[in-house]
Amino acid sequence: MYKAIIISAFVALMASCTSDFNNEKYVVGEDYIENMDGVILVDTLTVEVSTVSLDSLITSSQERILVGNYTDPIFGKLKSESYFELTANNYRLKTSTSDTDYTNFVYDSIAVILRHDNYYYGDTLQNQILSVHRLSEKVLYDDEATSFYNTSTLDYESGSLGTITYKPEPNRKDSIYIPISDAYGQELFQKLKTQEISTKDEFINKFNGLMIKSIGENSSSVIGFSASGSKSSVLRLYYSDNEETNEESLYKDFYISDPARQFNSVSLDRNGTIIQNLQSGSSFQPSGLTGNQSFIQAGSGIVCRLDFPSIKRLYDLSENGTIVDAQLLLRPVKNTNSNVYPLKDSLSVYVADQYNRISNVLYDYNGAQAYALLNQEIDEFHENIGYSISIAGFLNTELTKQSNTRSTLLFSLPSASKSVDRLVIGDQNNSENKIKLKIYYLSY
Amino acid sequence: MNKIILAVSLIFLNVGMLFSQNESNSPYSLFGLGSLYESNYGSIPSLGGSGVALPTKRFINNLNPASLAFIDRNSFLFDLGGKASSTSYKNQDTNEKKDNFYFSHIAFASPITSKSGFSFALKPFTNSTYEITNLEIPIQGTTESYLASIVGTGGLNAFDFSYGYLLSNKVSVGFTGSVFFGSIDEKRTMAIAESITTIQEENNYHGFRPTLGVQFSIDSTLTIGATVKLPTTLGGSQVRSISTINNSGTIVVEDEEDYDVDNFHLPTEIAFGVSKTYKDLNLTLDYERKFWGSTNQSDEFGDFSDQNKFSFGASYMRKGRKISYLDMIQYNAGISYDTGYLVIDDEKVQNAGVHIGLGFPLENFHSFLNVTYSYGQRGKVSETLIKENYHLLSLNLSLEGIWFVKRKYD
Repeated sequence: MYKAIIISAFVALMASCTSDFNNEKYVVGEDYIENMDGVILVDTLTVEVSTVSLDSLITSSQERILVGNYTDPIFGKLKSESYFELTANNYRLKTSTSDTDYTNFVYDSIAVILRHDNYYYGDTLQNQILSVHRLSEKVLYDDEATSFYNTSTLDYESGSLGTITYKPEPNRKDSIYIPISDAYGQELFQKLKTQEISTKDEFINKFNGLMIKSIGENSSSVIGFSASGSKSSVLRLYYSDNEETNEESLYKDFYISDPARQFNSVSLDRNGTIIQNLQSGSSFQPSGLTGNQSFIQAGSGIVCRLDFPSIKRLYDLSENGTIVDAQLLLRPVKNTNSNVYPLKDSLSVYVADQYNRISNVLYDYNGAQAYALLNQEIDEFHENIGYSISIAGFLNTELTKQSNTRSTLLFSLPSASKSVDRLVIGDQNNSENKIKLKIYYLSY
Repeated sequence: MNKIILAVSLIFLNVGMLFSQNESNSPYSLFGLGSLYESNYGSIPSLGGSGVALPTKRFINNLNPASLAFIDRNSFLFDLGGKASSTSYKNQDTNEKKDNFYFSHIAFASPITSKSGFSFALKPFTNSTYEITNLEIPIQGTTESYLASIVGTGGLNAFDFSYGYLLSNKVSVGFTGSVFFGSIDEKRTMAIAESITTIQEENNYHGFRPTLGVQFSIDSTLTIGATVKLPTTLGGSQVRSISTINNSGTIVVEDEEDYDVDNFHLPTEIAFGVSKTYKDLNLTLDYERKFWGSTNQSDEFGDFSDQNKFSFGASYMRKGRKISYLDMIQYNAGISYDTGYLVIDDEKVQNAGVHIGLGFPLENFHSFLNVTYSYGQRGKVSETLIKENYHLLSLNLSLEGIWFVKRKYD
């Protein structure tokens, strides 16, 4: 038994020793390791670039009143109108008083106060003319629909309730004030004073809502106004209480309490532009037909589509291989952007089928939505400007897919439902601003 | 008897622990099945690894199964060994020192009849332990590069069963069957652009190899011996997993897919040895040749070619009246030279060493703790070669026990 103890001690001694591991300096097999796995950088894979006009974009519940119009030198004439339903917290005048005091209230005036939410696009140096109209139907979705779209409209009275001509200064001024006709104001005031209207339903039955449109021929911008929260735009009814010794000024606000009942109708007249033949829906227009460039515009639903028809040819390089990374750089075409039409700092990316039907957004490694981010290196010749994103996961799925159905990527702008930003992207044949795809293919 | 079973199971339990942490690092172990171990029992390490003509007495002679025929009746032998090395690696640019500790072997031998004996042994056969971190590799045709790291662990083990039989007073023959088993795991990590790819490979190998041996006593002081190891093939299979993490998430490219890997061929190996005794001095001389060339193998680093090995050892132990403890110690010395089997740029990776050792008797003077110090040099400095200078300490515990003996006087 003592031998076993000796041996055990001997073994324990050996077990307690540990060896050095790391070959920090000596790499005898450098060539060997280099040849084990091959990394091939492919930057010549065909990327088919095209432009798609999506059928419709949901614009309700965006909490922004987007109005204005301008003629874009590339995209054509863009126009945005806003429709909304207004309600009040209650339908009594001066809530602290009793009903008997109502006889003392007198109408003063009424106005729409639009509060800037800091969004604007285009040239704000030109005057804008806004016109407010009374809706002649309720703010209700079409049958079957669950939202309003950029193509939705509602009937409204052609006579304007009020107009304003102003120079947009969204960064300097809080709000703009549009006087509304006294006829409309008196009607509203009397119905409240006589308590003909005392509930929301009674109110909406009489006053369906308002729409605001931009009617200036020379308008050159689209402006965003807040449609929610404490800084929401309102319809304000001013009245006075004559009972008091000193006449007291009072007002009552009507605002957008249900964001789902506010939407913007954005339309684009592309006649005479390079994209005038673009069909909406399931078709696409190859970039070769539009000067080796593709187009993206928020609001109007124009998106850039990318197809990777020869992805399976990577298997020609090596049958056993995988895309470990794929870096895509979308470059805005030189001179298509300016201070008036600036670049947004990111693009959103969707996976869609051949018919432009979106199945999901592109995800990052956290499972969150992935964006193509604008490279901020501004250099003199704008060579490095572009939106970059890794699409390795998407391309690997395409590579390993058994079926012949190919998916596509659609590039849009992150707030496409409530803005009108746009950009122009070069394709692979664009002389100066080529789209770039670098695929790192590992053969193992 | 129960004590023996208890002791043996205790030892094997411990040894299992050793196997699990056994590792010896060499840059060369990246290739093939890894670095080949040399596990010699008893005092053989201090004899330069010579001893094909030595009998199995006092310690188990692992070099020749025919030696088992000479195991003393009523005795059993047990051998356990470990090694510690300190190696400095030197090439044209730099040098680096590395320490390794590893388990060498565990073996047991016993007589069967007065004319025969057997042994079994468990030992590491090859070892793959290496780690290369952040090696920058250019991507062909571009100015870009990526970083590769590689970690290897594991190795093959051998289980040997040997049998020796005394044909006549002068001639004994023996047989060893070696079963090889084990796995070599490699993990490669590549940082390419904004992605990290991991390739994990588990390579399992198995095989069997017979060895034949003979020993012939010319007279009471001169013995010659020879062995032949037959060529064999180690068959392999691989389980591989590949995954990539990038900005899109995690892509599982392969999840434990099965593959075949190239078989590894072990060559025919022949060895001859002479043992001569002059009074208290014993001299051993061995020549060994391994026909690697005919396996037609190569690795990325070089081609395999036939390997020659010469070893010489001298052992002194006072046989007469022993007065002090010093008289009971066995004194050993040896030299070895080995041409190696890897040819790199027309140069062989040669290995030469000097060895000295002491065998300290324990308790009943039949058991020894053999301590060997070796100093050697492997390879040479050149563009692709590395010179290794190593100090190696081998500790072998060789125990002899007596059993099946009824005490004559109670």
